[in-house]
Amino acid sequence: MTPPQTPSSSQEDLSEDQGPPTFHNFLRAHYPFDNSALDDSNITMPLDRGDILMVHSIHTTGWADGTLLATGSRGWVPTNYCESYEPEEIRSLLHALLNFWDLLRSPSINDRELFSSQEYLRGMIAGIRHLLQRTNCLHKESSTVQRSDLLRRCRKDITSETSSLVRAARKMQELQDGTLNPPQDPNDICDEMVLKACQIVLKGVQLIDTLEEERRNRAPASVRVMDTVTEESVASSFDLSQAFPLPLNRRLSSFSRPPTRNESSPQGHRVSSSLSHRVSLAGPSSYTRPQFLVSERLSRSHDAFLSHIGSFIGRLSLQSQSCPELASAIKQCASSGSELLAVVDAVGTHSHSNCAALALARSILCERIHELVYAARDSLVQAASEEDLIMPNGNKELLMSATGCVRSAGDCIAKVRNAIERLGDFELVELDSSGLDMDLSILDAAARMRERKQSHAGLSETASAAESSGTAGSRTPGPRHAHTPSLDKPLPEIPAMELSQEANPSPPPSRPESQHSQGTSRLNLLPKLSTTLPSAATENPHDHEYHHSSRVDSMIASSAGSSATYLSRDSETSIVSQASTRATTPDHTLVPRPKPSVSELSATASSTLTEEVEEVESRLMEKTYVHELMFNKEGHVTGGSLPALVERLTTHEAAPDTVFLSTFYLTFRLFCTPTKLAEALIDRFDYVGDSPRMSGPVRLRVYNFFKGWLETHWRDETDREALVLILPFAEGRLSHVLPAATGRRLVELAKRVSSGTCLVPRLVSSMGKTNTAIAQHIASDTPLPPPIMSRSQQNALNAFKAGGNTPSILDFDPLELARQLTVKQMSIFSSIMPEELLAQKWMKNGGVETPHVKAMSSLTTGISNWVACTILHNEEIKKRAAVIKQWIKTANHCYELHNYDCLLAIMCTIQSTTISRLRKTWDLISTKRKDTLTPLQEVSDTSFNYKALRARLHDHVSPCLPFLGMYLTDLSFVEVGNPATRQMAHGSETGDQRASGLTVVNFDKHSLTAKIIGELQRFQIPYRLAEHADMQEWLTVQIDGVRESDKVNVQRENYRKSLALEPRETVPRTPLEQTPMPTPTTSRGDFFGWMTRERSQTNTPAPL
Amino acid sequence: MPARRLQPSREFHVVVLGAGGVGKSCLTAQFVHNEWVESYDPTIEDSYRTQLQVDGRQVVLEILDTAGTEQFVAMRDLYMKTGQGFLLVFSITSQASLDEIASLRDEIIRIKDDESVPIVIVGNKADLEENRQVPRARGFSVSQRWEAPYYESSARTRTNVEECFIDLCRQMLRREDEGGAEDSPTHKPEHSAYDSHKRRRRRRLRDGQRCVVL
Repeated sequence: MTPPQTPSSSQEDLSEDQGPPTFHNFLRAHYPFDNSALDDSNITMPLDRGDILMVHSIHTTGWADGTLLATGSRGWVPTNYCESYEPEEIRSLLHALLNFWDLLRSPSINDRELFSSQEYLRGMIAGIRHLLQRTNCLHKESSTVQRSDLLRRCRKDITSETSSLVRAARKMQELQDGTLNPPQDPNDICDEMVLKACQIVLKGVQLIDTLEEERRNRAPASVRVMDTVTEESVASSFDLSQAFPLPLNRRLSSFSRPPTRNESSPQGHRVSSSLSHRVSLAGPSSYTRPQFLVSERLSRSHDAFLSHIGSFIGRLSLQSQSCPELASAIKQCASSGSELLAVVDAVGTHSHSNCAALALARSILCERIHELVYAARDSLVQAASEEDLIMPNGNKELLMSATGCVRSAGDCIAKVRNAIERLGDFELVELDSSGLDMDLSILDAAARMRERKQSHAGLSETASAAESSGTAGSRTPGPRHAHTPSLDKPLPEIPAMELSQEANPSPPPSRPESQHSQGTSRLNLLPKLSTTLPSAATENPHDHEYHHSSRVDSMIASSAGSSATYLSRDSETSIVSQASTRATTPDHTLVPRPKPSVSELSATASSTLTEEVEEVESRLMEKTYVHELMFNKEGHVTGGSLPALVERLTTHEAAPDTVFLSTFYLTFRLFCTPTKLAEALIDRFDYVGDSPRMSGPVRLRVYNFFKGWLETHWRDETDREALVLILPFAEGRLSHVLPAATGRRLVELAKRVSSGTCLVPRLVSSMGKTNTAIAQHIASDTPLPPPIMSRSQQNALNAFKAGGNTPSILDFDPLELARQLTVKQMSIFSSIMPEELLAQKWMKNGGVETPHVKAMSSLTTGISNWVACTILHNEEIKKRAAVIKQWIKTANHCYELHNYDCLLAIMCTIQSTTISRLRKTWDLISTKRKDTLTPLQEVSDTSFNYKALRARLHDHVSPCLPFLGMYLTDLSFVEVGNPATRQMAHGSETGDQRASGLTVVNFDKHSLTAKIIGELQRFQIPYRLAEHADMQEWLTVQIDGVRESDKVNVQRENYRKSLALEPRETVPRTPLEQTPMPTPTTSRGDFFGWMTRERSQTNTPAPL
Repeated sequence: MPARRLQPSREFHVVVLGAGGVGKSCLTAQFVHNEWVESYDPTIEDSYRTQLQVDGRQVVLEILDTAGTEQFVAMRDLYMKTGQGFLLVFSITSQASLDEIASLRDEIIRIKDDESVPIVIVGNKADLEENRQVPRARGFSVSQRWEAPYYESSARTRTNVEECFIDLCRQMLRREDEGGAEDSPTHKPEHSAYDSHKRRRRRRLRDGQRCVVL
């Protein structure tokens, strides 16, 4: 599916930016966008001025696939109606929202791991903290907050939304532990959390807008501010009515600037057309600002009813259920149903027309509730006679009547809304609670019930709290609720405009009036797009109409088009949407899903709510650096400031990720000094003291980090300087706060370290140990293969040791030769220390700091040269051929032993010009022998970035000896190809790097380094091969003998020898010098890989 | 050979050589690294493959840069064999690194057995003018002696990074157009080849590039 045509084709004058579309993570609608006239209105989204969008991708046409924060619905919007949004104050919060979204939406993340702690919330919380800090609103008592009611309210909204986010996260935690009762679909909770996160951001935007407005109005306008206050509360009241789609109202709340009202006419139009698919993410936030408006009460009671029924149905599906619990659930349903009926009645009495339909719907609903209660009573009575349990088979009837209730409630509510719309909203304070004339005590009798739950208490409490704003509600002009459910219905018009203009004298603060009205008038010019409805969309409209509460559906519709997009924040869009569809379960398709949070609207819940808000307040006070971290899509840290990284290492909730920890231990010296690290750790230890909630575990982790550092990762030469800090810390603060033993232990470690003893032999670093390869390590009881050594060979070695003749390479078995070379190489390879591989140290100072890397490379080079020498040493052609054959066999054994380093060492000599030009010698080697070289050549082919070798090493089981050089090249390029730091640019990646962007450590670079080193360490496991001491000695002498002459250029020397042995043929046309194999073309081509390539490239394309 | 001109895109193997620490890997990384990629992972197959347009022709370059393995001297032969064009990099802050590429060039010519194998000489770290050890004139005289163009580049400031690779591509393309150079090096009409070298260099000079041959 492609997005609709770009609106800019018909709206050139509106477009902000004529250049190619640039990618912004967040957009704010500059103009209202009415998509109702579009054919594809079900894949596009209408916009109101001030709407905030999170952008997933931008199509070349300029349409953006975005999620509207206010509703959570996703669809295409025209970017030319919007402008990039990322004020500095909120940038870190916006960034946190992106990460949060990625985390929760990424299918590649393990739920259990993610949700087992609340770690993933910290970015959001830090973002909020940052916002409040920047706006001087961090403290409730700060003068900024105290000065303005509006700000106080905004701030309160933020904290209460945050607390519900935290609550949802806790629920998720419980769900992961299996202690959540009743269990919920994790996707629901995820949705809820994402919605909450969006809400938080919206409230943050509101806060900024308010501040902005205040700044402008500061001098004159105390009266005006009051106006705005009332206005704002009116707007927010609509925020709550979302059981039915009211995008208009939700949107209004997202953005408190009143004059949006001026556009109520087009909005109304839009609402009517898009009604069905706009609900999606809309989650309730009802408790924040209770109102008396009837529409609001209706939604609320409907929500409550649905949620009670929902949890009742949830209970039914459990295996067994105790009677009192079931009875209480039924009672909750019944009482909320009764409340709902009361609201319906209230509307009914107000209403003048359409009464019949409403009355009918009402009576059906009433009847259904009765049915449910009676059915419940029957099964309760029946159960009481047997046991205290309800068996599942009796549930069918209950289930039927419960779903009946839901359906008829939906029906009834639709009618009521219709009526309200016609009437206009009105205030409703008193309720006749006898909506359902039914004595619920039948249930008590049946089930020996507990006291009836006070489900009304919460309502009345919140009602009183909202008293002040209540009056404003009454002034609300009815027609603002222009949510006409059907398309053909004419729109209520003009009066709304006049009324609202009257009510809102203040022009939009941040946009000049002229521009604003321009926007309105241009509505007439709105693009008339003649795009045909994409096929994917035509399949979906049903979903859009009926899957009310599932935001997933709108995602399907929109994200299907992302394949055609070229600017995308999220390359996995389609996967994500697929993964999310699991949220839709058939049970929920017909009714709005019960909103989990509504069920907590009881008196008890609201009391815990205040505690939670308190908790959020205290969390906001916690000092944190989490906003200085950067993550990739997999949730891995890719960058961060030192304090932020240290914080990440010592989080209070979960032990740090082992990969992260070992990467840090290995590489920290590359981005900070040991002293700086110690300072950061000690600072962390100190500042966490302000938050008692987490100081305990965090401090312990700080201690553990120090301990690990001293025990296993200490480099005395560089780290010694940090002892000056660590010792007093261990003796002082640490011992004061943590049990004295910890301090003593640290002091002890520090002293041992300073005495110069390395505590743990680090032959294999801890990084390697975490790797699975160890498990596959050949068990130590595997018998060692006996050395292949005949008596005469042994005698030759003995004679050599005694100072006699040196045995020739031909004297030994090629397999044993390969084995002993392998043993020799592996002993060096396994002792390479990880820190030798950092920062290209092996290239500096002649490799003084990297003895093992140096030894390894010179051994490999030594072997290569030795191979050449053994061949060129012989004057006789036959002998040379024999030696070459011997080496081919040895190489083959190396190949079988997976010793690729030695294989390469031998192969590079055999294939070198020096050796390969010895045509006469090669003539004596059989074709069969030459053929065995083919696979060896393939592996030792360095082209395409060691493609063949990499393929072999991938998932290779040790023992294996890879080619060290490959890792060295990789490490070099990680080093030079990635910058040391990253720029924190919250939001825009392409945008200008503003001065506010923080420069942080590019941790991704170090992760890559550590990954490569870890890969190498995977192979640092010795072979199960017996070392033959005499032969080792002989090998050493041989290889060193060649190395002796290293001062002269061995290669050139060897080439000269080669020329002397088989002089250059003087025939003028001899390109054959390069091609010593006068064998038929096929085998020649196969023989040397590089030739095959060159020939095919240079010659084959020419059809000469 | 008109048939070859119709070839839509050509693939060439380029080998980057030089002493350790002259910043040749920076040069390569700069050249192949797509700036929009946030993190550069050199362990994947096409880390060193890049496509570019040279005089309107599509060229795919497979670059072999064995940075970090300078100590594996014996491997050099293997690396050089694969190359069709060579970028010899030294650092203008180190005379020794210039000497090093001289011996590298000898080796290349020996291994390829071809006096006129495409080579570009690159004096890197041109941004470190204050530490210069190799006078510009010396670079040019080497260039003249070897009949190979000389560039002074800086990976840090991204000066002449692309230019030296493009120059190498031109040489390789031209060789290919002339045809069969690799098949029969001894029969190659040497003078014309050298003349065209000079012609091309003069053209570049007119274009106002940094490379000047004295």
